[in-house]
Amino acid sequence: MKFGSFLLKRLLLSIFVIFGLSIVIFIIARVVPGDPARMALGPRAPEEVVQRLRQEMYLDKPLPKQYFYWIRGVLSGDFGRSLVTKRAVSEDIKEYLPATVELAIFAGILMVIFGILLGTLAARYKDTWVDNLIRILSYFGVAIPAFVAAIIFMLLFGYYWPILPVLGRLSPGISYPTRITGLLTLDSLIQRNFVAFWDAFKHLILPSVALSLAHIFQDARINRSAMVDNMRKDFLSAERGYGIPERVIMFKYLLKPSLIPTVSMMGMEFANIFANAFLVEMIFNWPGLSRYGINAMMSKDLVAISTVFVVFGAIFMVMNIIVDITLAFLDPRIRLRTSRGI
Amino acid sequence: MKASNFVRFLRNGLFLVLVVSLVLILSCAGYTQQEVKVIRQTNTWPCYIDPAVGTDYTSTVALVNLYDSLVFPNPDGSMKPWLAKSWTVSGDELAYTFELVPGVKFHNGDELTADDVVFSLERIMAIGEGYGYLFTMNVKGAKALEKYKVQFTLKKPFGPFLGALIRLYILNKNQVMANIQKDGQYGEFGDYGKGWLVAHDAGSGPYKVKEMKTQEYLLMEKFNDYWAGWENKDAPQYVKEIGTIEAVTVRTLMSRGELEITDQRQTSENFAALDQLPNVEVVSLVEGEVLNLMLNNKKSPTDDIHFRKALAYSIDYQQIIDKVFPGSKPVPGPVAFGTPGCNPNLKPYKLDLAKAEEEIKQSPYYGKLDQYPIDIIWPGGTKDREKVALMVQANAAKLGIKVNVVKMTWPAICDIMSKLKTTPHGVLISVNPHYAEAGSMLESRYHSISCGTWFQGEWLQNPEIDAMIEDAISTIDQKERFQKYYVIQEKIAELCPSIWINESAVRQAYRSDYVVFPAAEAVKQGKLYNPNGGYNFYYRDFKVTSEKAQPPYTPFKP
Repeated sequence: MKFGSFLLKRLLLSIFVIFGLSIVIFIIARVVPGDPARMALGPRAPEEVVQRLRQEMYLDKPLPKQYFYWIRGVLSGDFGRSLVTKRAVSEDIKEYLPATVELAIFAGILMVIFGILLGTLAARYKDTWVDNLIRILSYFGVAIPAFVAAIIFMLLFGYYWPILPVLGRLSPGISYPTRITGLLTLDSLIQRNFVAFWDAFKHLILPSVALSLAHIFQDARINRSAMVDNMRKDFLSAERGYGIPERVIMFKYLLKPSLIPTVSMMGMEFANIFANAFLVEMIFNWPGLSRYGINAMMSKDLVAISTVFVVFGAIFMVMNIIVDITLAFLDPRIRLRTSRGI
Repeated sequence: MKASNFVRFLRNGLFLVLVVSLVLILSCAGYTQQEVKVIRQTNTWPCYIDPAVGTDYTSTVALVNLYDSLVFPNPDGSMKPWLAKSWTVSGDELAYTFELVPGVKFHNGDELTADDVVFSLERIMAIGEGYGYLFTMNVKGAKALEKYKVQFTLKKPFGPFLGALIRLYILNKNQVMANIQKDGQYGEFGDYGKGWLVAHDAGSGPYKVKEMKTQEYLLMEKFNDYWAGWENKDAPQYVKEIGTIEAVTVRTLMSRGELEITDQRQTSENFAALDQLPNVEVVSLVEGEVLNLMLNNKKSPTDDIHFRKALAYSIDYQQIIDKVFPGSKPVPGPVAFGTPGCNPNLKPYKLDLAKAEEEIKQSPYYGKLDQYPIDIIWPGGTKDREKVALMVQANAAKLGIKVNVVKMTWPAICDIMSKLKTTPHGVLISVNPHYAEAGSMLESRYHSISCGTWFQGEWLQNPEIDAMIEDAISTIDQKERFQKYYVIQEKIAELCPSIWINESAVRQAYRSDYVVFPAAEAVKQGKLYNPNGGYNFYYRDFKVTSEKAQPPYTPFKP
């Protein structure tokens, strides 16, 4: 019960944080130079047309009033109209957010599986060639930015050995499944359209691997480090004394406590994937929210900028809460502490 | 035990990787299917297919194919009848009456009538975006005299009116009105269908929208009932404009045979690499776009004519053309050679340091140039223009002129150019004419009406030039009008308010083994091609013979 109220408190706090974030982004977007109305309409549009758009966007009002009108719209589901796409921002979010979510989920899955696996292997075979190889790869992997990895993968698997698609979410000729969640793999599975599922899955491989590469190796290093630390603990000696198999010790008794720092890191990295996906989305022509956000910033599309940042802020908050829940599951001490209100 | 466990683990893992790779390879294996004629082209994004909104290159290419206009431009800049089979002009040159071709079908089967023409004009004028300014400034209105007869009334005589009409794309009134959002800002017209036209078309053009993914691509398919027919049996059945210009993506697509034509935004290095691919050719087209170094004529020291001329003579234009923009051409003044109405007698500036020295010595700033450094701004995302700015900087230094090269984002540039005080000494911006005539460039670039916009960083504000431009544009007789353009260009060249770097070459790489690209063929044969933006991609004239495609080639599945 106490843990439940702890989570509720976190949720309410998150709302305040998002509120604060929206104010900061709202102000920053508006003080950056550029007249969004004139930019959207072009230099030859008559002044009265530009003025009409400024009025529609409340740009002729003081900043606090502009914010009030915007937040009023947001609370009623009206995020405004994008100057770039020329349609409701809510429609844009509905179309582009699932694409980024799908990419991030796949990247996250790769990050979790391979990050933990490689870290565990490196710890298990500590100071052998396995450990050394994983550590060397980690240094390279962490140093390579996602967009560089994307270009390398595109060259390798799109150009020299063209076995994977490099553009968009689906191949031409494959019909989009009826939209349920917006995640093409999930929607096509639900509708048992395995052709679309397989095609969508193939399109996900290169961008999600590129996005997750650095995080995989970062998590592997953290996991290895935590496991090596815990390996020295007395309870492991006791378990070996009891004759518990090494594999069970590794994956049940040693891995769980070692995951605490790794999971904390993964939560933040997963949220980072959303924000950093834009270059990968541009390279693979992936119609995602990150790319949409960058285009909005370049065009000073004020309402789109504010909305995208609020959405990403909300994702960060949700990830924080999920990480807290996961950590509480992994570490009973955290559960007890929160139960006692510490 | 431990090592053998690990080896077993590795073996199993490797086996799994091999199986997955095999599955991937087999699923990507080719299959036979009926060849579909397609043009897949990369382009900048977004793409606005609303005729009252789009003016950028990508949008214009789409509009030219989805819609029809009353007239169609010829390569020599003249207009031929199109939706309008004939027209008459009133004695006072204020009324144009057009007879429409009967029986023209929109994509949804409705017939195109004079009411649609009137609606299209009123719509673009009411919305005021895009090419609307061409009509709001000059046209009073239009009315349908009969089912196939429409009359335009002008506010004042407008010589290039017929040329401007290529940007009035005719929409289906009934279809648009059936899809308006009633709570829009245009009264009874709601939002004028703007929301619906983001992803749909209401045109009669040779192609219609099959699919519009707003951040990905526009897929157009052939309109088989096109009123002007399909004599060209090899015209593409589908056209896909893909919204990416990422160099590695474009090269990968071209090398896999998944692209027929690239965009024009690739760097010189990438075009050189694309040229090396089998069956790929790079063609350079010039469409009247001029790269300007706009000099603020109201800010010291660029307010001095001798200072400006000294800078103009200090630039190595040929080196810029050879090294930075291969395929581009010298430009004599504000209007490029290929644009109808360009003064053929003007000579481009050339590198002449002796003349530059001579000019700078006549400047009141001579002897104290160190106190007057100048800023030259280049827009982010245009790396080649940085090279130009650096070359200007290097040569200006030989005269003792200190140049600061500054990169800025486009929104920041638009902002600083909106006021005289904040407009920098120099900005490198390309401008192209909206209709293929010198008047378009002269008015956009040097009439006071464009001060405060990114079209004009000079703040020339010369009443004499304004009056000359207005007089020329209102001259109906083309010969007379062009003579007036020549005089204006001479005057402007004399004042040297800007430095005209080159006429930009629009380069594109394309698959020459199975695509006949009409403009490219014209270039090879030394013939004229269409100087109007977008019309070199009138896909109805393209030929695609996929059966002749050499590997690599990936068939298109619609």
